[in-house]
Amino acid sequence: MSEHIDCRAAVEILQDYLKRELTPEVEAAVRAHLERCAPCFSYARFEENFLIMLEARAQESNCPGSLRARIVSALRAEMGGG
Amino acid sequence: MAEPSTAGRSFDAEALPHLDALYRVALRLTGDPARAEDLVQDTMLKAYRSWRQYQPGTNAKGWLLTILRNTFINDYRRRKLEPVATDLEAIEPHAIYRAVEEVDPEGAFFSRIVDEKVLEAVDALPPEFREVVVLSDMEGLRYAEIAEALQVPVGTVKSRLFRARRLLQTALYAYAVETGIIRPREVSHE
Repeated sequence: MSEHIDCRAAVEILQDYLKRELTPEVEAAVRAHLERCAPCFSYARFEENFLIMLEARAQESNCPGSLRARIVSALRAEMGGG
Repeated sequence: MAEPSTAGRSFDAEALPHLDALYRVALRLTGDPARAEDLVQDTMLKAYRSWRQYQPGTNAKGWLLTILRNTFINDYRRRKLEPVATDLEAIEPHAIYRAVEEVDPEGAFFSRIVDEKVLEAVDALPPEFREVVVLSDMEGLRYAEIAEALQVPVGTVKSRLFRARRLLQTALYAYAVETGIIRPREVSHE
């Protein structure tokens, strides 16, 4: 018998579901709920899109080349000085 | 310049690939490029000096971010953190979804907000919330890794994340309404 999850429980653990932090059994139960509950499915998609949007913004800034060079040179000095 | 030793070479190989992530997190924590650069450099030197404590094959990114975060707290933060009351009961998970449900149920408006404004909204979060969003949603760390880096229980990470996302959604929705990216739901009159 698989676990049964209602709307309230599904919403409560939705963020864990979207981050793939649930056990396989609970994850399957949430997925089963979303498949048969249109309002929860729609809400889950909204939250998922929000997370995808956030993740995409993260990649915008990278370590400047000058800083990378400065760090490598500081590390070399440190390593040499052992 | 001296050639790196064996320890130095393994440090190079394991730690240097994470410079971009360290810089991004430092930028969000300090809110200032110059301080972010100093923070990353201090972190890397500290990490090298305690390299022997690192367990090879474990998560180097998580380990480095823990050092970065501790360094930030000890040396960079200008004010002491106040404990944040997380009154989860008071937060409606669907608030913003309900507001846009009729016009934009998929939340496409989030993607139409320019990067700069999204990052500004992240920077405006209280520090406790900002760091969990940055580590989880922007850098992809697992709950357990964040809990370790922050020295708080996993439950605390989860509740802060929940709260942080509600605050962010609220701020971004307000910005989207203000700039006409999205039209607010009609207020029904009695």
